[in-house]
Amino acid sequence: MSSEIRGLYVGPNDIDIEPHSRAFKAIGAEVDRVEDSDLGAIIEAVKDADVLISEGHKLDAQLFDHMGFNGRCQGMVSFGHGFDGIDLSAASDNGVVLSNTASFGTEEVSNHTMLLFLVASRKFVLHHKLTSNGQWTREYLPPMGHISGQTFGIVGIGNIGRAVARKAKAFGMNVVAYDPMRPSWDIKEYGVEPILSLDELCSVSDYVSPHVYLSDSTYHMFSDRQFELMKTTAYLINCSRGPVVDEAALIRALQSGQIAGAALDVFEQEPPDPDNPLFKMDNVAVTNHYASYSEIAWDRAQSQLGEEAVRIATGSWPMSHINPDVRHKVPNRTTPIQWELYVQQLQAGK
Amino acid sequence: MAQHKVVILGPEDTPIDIERSEMADLDVEFVQANPESEGEAIEVVKDADAIMTRAGWGTAAVLDATERCQVFAMYSHGFDVIDVEACNRNGIILTNSAGMCAEEVSDQAAAFILALNRHTVQTTEHVRAGGWDRLAFPCDPLDSQVLGLVGFGNIARLVARKMSGWGMETLVYDPYTSPWVIKEYRVEQVFDLNELCAAADYVTIIVPLNDETRHMIGAEQFKAMKKSAYLVNVCRGPVVNEAALIDALNAGEIRGAGLDVFEVEPTPVDNPLLKMPNVICAPHSAGLSSRSQVLSTQRAAAQVASVLRGEMPMAVQNPEVASKIGARRRAAGLPAAG
Repeated sequence: MSSEIRGLYVGPNDIDIEPHSRAFKAIGAEVDRVEDSDLGAIIEAVKDADVLISEGHKLDAQLFDHMGFNGRCQGMVSFGHGFDGIDLSAASDNGVVLSNTASFGTEEVSNHTMLLFLVASRKFVLHHKLTSNGQWTREYLPPMGHISGQTFGIVGIGNIGRAVARKAKAFGMNVVAYDPMRPSWDIKEYGVEPILSLDELCSVSDYVSPHVYLSDSTYHMFSDRQFELMKTTAYLINCSRGPVVDEAALIRALQSGQIAGAALDVFEQEPPDPDNPLFKMDNVAVTNHYASYSEIAWDRAQSQLGEEAVRIATGSWPMSHINPDVRHKVPNRTTPIQWELYVQQLQAGK
Repeated sequence: MAQHKVVILGPEDTPIDIERSEMADLDVEFVQANPESEGEAIEVVKDADAIMTRAGWGTAAVLDATERCQVFAMYSHGFDVIDVEACNRNGIILTNSAGMCAEEVSDQAAAFILALNRHTVQTTEHVRAGGWDRLAFPCDPLDSQVLGLVGFGNIARLVARKMSGWGMETLVYDPYTSPWVIKEYRVEQVFDLNELCAAADYVTIIVPLNDETRHMIGAEQFKAMKKSAYLVNVCRGPVVNEAALIDALNAGEIRGAGLDVFEVEPTPVDNPLLKMPNVICAPHSAGLSSRSQVLSTQRAAAQVASVLRGEMPMAVQNPEVASKIGARRRAAGLPAAG
C-alpha cells in the first residue's frame, strides 16, 4: 500500500530533494517534482499526488481548489517556520491539512537573536566603524546597559521565544513575555514572567524581541504607539518577519531618539531598497534574513518535511499542524506519534 | 431565563464564587447537584449547556442524554472516569484543569525520588526504634543515577527540570512528544518502554489513564528493571498492575516503590504493599496544595467560559471532537465555533 503513495515536491529544479524524500523512501514510496513557477503544471501534477511538499515560497491559493475535498492530495507541508505565504483559510475551506517544519531552526534563530541583542546593547556597529576608521574614542559609550539584571521582553513564547528566554536567563537577565495564545502556567514553567499586554511589555523591557508568525493579528504589531511606550534606552530586535514592525514608524522612532537602536534580520521588503534609511544609522545592525541557517538545521527541516508529508499521506495528523480549524471540516485522523515509531508501524503494514 | 445553563456536579454546598467571576460577562444560570444515580444525573444535565464535575457522571448514558451540552469540564487532571467516545459522538468538548497542580505533582515525584534514594522513611523508623546503624541504608548518589520518565507532558517536564538540579540524567519514553520538545529539555529519549525500564534507576510514570496505559507497567516491565531500581507512581493506580508489583517486590526484582495512587482507592488496609518497609506512600494527595485547589476551580471555569463565548478552550482533552462541534452548536441554536 505504501508504495502507491506519492509525494510531490514543488520548488526550484536545482534543489536536491534527497533529504525531502528520505521518509518516503523508508516506506518504499516516491516523490515527484514540479517547478514552482508554473501554476498550471503544478495543478496538473497535484492530481496524481497524495501530499505536496513546498519550498515555502508563496503559492497561489487556487491550488487548494484542486486538493482536499476536490482531489487526491490531502495536504501540504511547507519549508520553514512562517506560513505568511500560504492562504490558511483557503486551505481549510478546501479541507487541506497544512504543516510546517516547526522548530527546525530554533537554536539558530535564538542564537541569531542573542547575537543581534549583544551587538545592539554593546553598540558594536558604531564602535566597529569608529575603530576601523582610526577613531579611538570612548565618548559614545554611555548610556550602556549592564545586561545582567536588565529586562528582556519576548513577544510570542513559542519554540524560539522559549529558547531565547533560556539563553537570556543565562546572561542573568529578567525575562518577561507577552503571548495571549499561551496559558500563563506554561510561560511560568520556563521561569519567564507573563505580561498581560503588549503596551506593558514595551514599557518595562530594555530589549524587545518579537518571535511571532506574520498574520493579520501581528502585522505592524510594532508601530508608533509601541515605540512611544518603549524606554529611550531600549532596543528592538527582530528575527521574526519584517512586516511585524511598521518600518516607517521604526525609522521615525530612531530618528527622534524614542528608542536607542534596533537590530534586524528581516525587513518589510526583501531584498530591501539599498537606500533604506536604516542602513545609514550607526545604532542599527542588519543581516540578510539568515537567522535560521545552519547546514544541520536546513537538512533537519528537509527531512522533517518528508516525515510530516508521509504522516499526512497515511492518515495521521501532522505533528506541527498549522491550520487546526480544518479539524472541524475533515474526517478525523490518527494522533501523530514520533517518526521513529510511526515508520515502524508503516513498515509493518499496520 | 438565562442564556446558558451550567450544571455543577458534586457536593451542593461547595462555594461557586470563582465560577461566577470567571463567567461574569456571560448570562449564566448555575445549578449545583449531587446526583445519586445515573437517572438523577440525566435529569439534571439534559438541558445543560455546560457540565462541570467533581463527581464524575461522564458515562455514555448521561452524555448521550444531553441535548445541547457543549463542554464537559473536569476540576481535576485525570479524565479516566469519563467516556471520551461518548463526548466525541455528541460533539462535547472535554476539558481538564491542565497545569493546576503540575508544580505539586512534580514536587511529590521529586519527594518520592529523594526519600527513596535517602531511605528517609526507613531511617526515621530506625532511629525512632533506638537504632543507630549508619551502614544499614546504602545509597547511590543521585548525580550518578538515571531518572526514567514514562510520559513527558506538563508534569513530567517539570520533574525533569527539577531533578536536573540534582544532576540526574533523564531518559524519556513518550510516543506523542514532538522531537523539538525532547531537544528543548535536553533529555534523551527511547522508543521502547522496556528499554527505559532497563536503564532507569527511578521509573517514574506520569501518564493519563486510558486503554493504552492501563497496566502498562506489569510483570514484563519489572523483569526488565534493575534490581536496584525504584518505581514511582504519581499518576493513576491502574497504570501499574499492582499484583505484579507486589510479586516483583516480594521476589526482589526491584528495590522499592513510591506510590501516591493505588488500583483501588482508598487502598484496603491489608494491601501487602503497606507492610513493606521499602514502599512509601501517600493517599493520592500529590496534587493538593493551598494553591492548587483554587487554581483547579479557576481553570475549569475558564474552560467553560471560553466554550460559552464560542472559542476553543486551552485545555481540550479530545481534539478529535472538532469535526462534531459545529453540529452540536447548531443544535443549540448557536453560530459555528471558530
